[in-house]
Amino acid sequence: MSLTTDPKGYWTDLTVAEKGVSVGVVLFAAALLFSLLTGGLAPTYFLYLVGLAGMYALLSLGLNSQWGFSGLINFSVAAFFGIGAYGTALASASGSPIAGGLPPVVGLLAALALATMLALFIGIPTLRLRADYLAIASIGLAEVVRIIVRNQDDWTNGSAGVRGIPSFFEGWPVLETLPETLPTLVFGSGPGATVLNAPFWQALLNVGLVLAFVGLCYLVLRRAHRSPWGRVLRTIRSDEDLARALGKNTYGFKMQSFVLGSLIMALAGVFYAHLNLYVSPGDLDPITTFYVWVAVILGGSGSNRGALFGGVVIVAIREGTRALPVDAAPMRLLFIGLIIVFLMRFRPQGVLPPQKELIWPGTVDETPQQPDSGVRETKAGEQ
Amino acid sequence: MVLDLLASGLVFSSIIVLGSIGLSLVYSIANFANFAHGDTMTIGAYTSLVTFGAVGGLGGSVLGLPFGFFVALLAGIAVAALVAVVTEKLVYDGMDLDSIGLLIVSIGLAFIYRAVIQLGFSAQSTRYGIQALRPIEALLPYGVRVTQHDVAIVVSAAVLVTGLHVLLQYSDLGRKMRAMADNPDLARVSGIRTDRIKLWTWVIGAGLAGAGGAFLGLYSQLTPRMGFNLLLLIFAAVILGGIGSVYGAMLGGFLIGVINQMTPLLSQIGIPIGIEYADAIAFVIMVVVLLFRPNGIAGEAT
Repeated sequence: MSLTTDPKGYWTDLTVAEKGVSVGVVLFAAALLFSLLTGGLAPTYFLYLVGLAGMYALLSLGLNSQWGFSGLINFSVAAFFGIGAYGTALASASGSPIAGGLPPVVGLLAALALATMLALFIGIPTLRLRADYLAIASIGLAEVVRIIVRNQDDWTNGSAGVRGIPSFFEGWPVLETLPETLPTLVFGSGPGATVLNAPFWQALLNVGLVLAFVGLCYLVLRRAHRSPWGRVLRTIRSDEDLARALGKNTYGFKMQSFVLGSLIMALAGVFYAHLNLYVSPGDLDPITTFYVWVAVILGGSGSNRGALFGGVVIVAIREGTRALPVDAAPMRLLFIGLIIVFLMRFRPQGVLPPQKELIWPGTVDETPQQPDSGVRETKAGEQ
Repeated sequence: MVLDLLASGLVFSSIIVLGSIGLSLVYSIANFANFAHGDTMTIGAYTSLVTFGAVGGLGGSVLGLPFGFFVALLAGIAVAALVAVVTEKLVYDGMDLDSIGLLIVSIGLAFIYRAVIQLGFSAQSTRYGIQALRPIEALLPYGVRVTQHDVAIVVSAAVLVTGLHVLLQYSDLGRKMRAMADNPDLARVSGIRTDRIKLWTWVIGAGLAGAGGAFLGLYSQLTPRMGFNLLLLIFAAVILGGIGSVYGAMLGGFLIGVINQMTPLLSQIGIPIGIEYADAIAFVIMVVVLLFRPNGIAGEAT
């Protein structure tokens, strides 16, 4: 059933939750459009929010491929995010204490290499551990990484952070100067006019970048998780002993899944560094880890669509609390905490649990028809 | 130098031990790693702050601490225990989740506790209105710089730990708790009312955490993050001792506290690792223990 050929059938095929989310997304988009048109939301800031949502979507896609598919309780998301950001920053920034000044693409590769090393450093000791030990050990090792980044001034500038990070498109043909060359557009007149100028085009480029990252990761993950490799991961998640009994090297599979997810998280860090143009040890704070966990369990563990949805909700909480008349930081914590408790109490599978999306469409059998005759009405022992 | 570090290690250990026992007790009975335990300590600390502000000095003092502080300490213990019981009744009770699900729920609870405290008291650090003391003169010739407050922390922790030991070994409740930690199903069919024992476990565990929090506020200062910052050290202690074992938690807490304070010795013997890596060392110890001796020093059972 596809949306274009049979919209009505597509709609009736959706579950109640999917319908609810679809309506919510449409309403949310309408509200955003309304505030954009009335000037309540500056277009450049809106694009910044879209970029952040894309970044959280990347992080949740990464965590989803570890927790959602292989059942790995990774509490070191912030460390991979931070190592991605620091990797590209240290390679490309003018204020970098080690290399510096390299093209951002080299920074991207450096970040991915660093993330792979960190994934092995954390994964090799911890992936053999029982689930809850893995949670504790990984958050401990993530803290070790944060302490090192904060204190090794000679490598990372310590608590001062790294400044002078170029935009991701610096050194690229055309794209580097595109924001300056595009015309300045003015809608309306007077002080309330909407001006689309170079910062807006720059933000648009950034959004394009993160959407490209998200799209790429989404396609790779969807392909990977529908493949035999993904099926082994799902088996490991539901019953690791069974997977081992079937002759699978579960440690190896978990390691592959862990590295893959970590690379995607590092990609989010790379985008963040070139969006924010400044990184500091605060970016490795464990709260990021828990934001991403909320995004994944809210969306539905194992569901890539859910990860996208969760990413948007997290940004709505993070940025929406700024508008409240009270101190934003504790309100954010409170919302996150309440969401976790209420979700786990009433809907532990998440809002959009994975259903058909894990399986190739052609392999789904239709539900067998109930035979008309020869079927007992009740099972033995039932009243 | 070594004696001084050992002494401050002993003081810090006392706080860690109070935290670790509760975490270990709850792990052995409710069977999950409670990430809200650190913030339970924060609750104890802030309750003591409010109570001490209300009752004030109350006349005399022991070891440089006014009587009012001990009233505040009891209030901290009581409120931390009360919050834990309410949480158990309101949230955990009736949840059909595995140990991982409960772990995630406890993270949510940790955030709720911390958010409420931060809304009430702001994120700024604060202190009890108790004057800081000079180190005890008699110990200075040995190079040991501890205050009477430090002595009070160690003595109070020792009293609480001894009390718990007596409770576990010689009381009916203690025997039932040990039975339940060993095998909950067997305990239930033997006629132990496991729900009630679970509630008492929360009371004792959270009460000790509340006391640890109150002392942590006296040892350094109070911030809404104080308990969460200590949580990983407590996990390290509990894992080192053997998760689920109360006596292991005591031993692990003592070792982690002393090792943490002894870090400056490393640079003295030529290893260039500064005090800023003290926590990192504890976390690495934790991972190494998990790898090579996952049952800890004392083993799993109580």
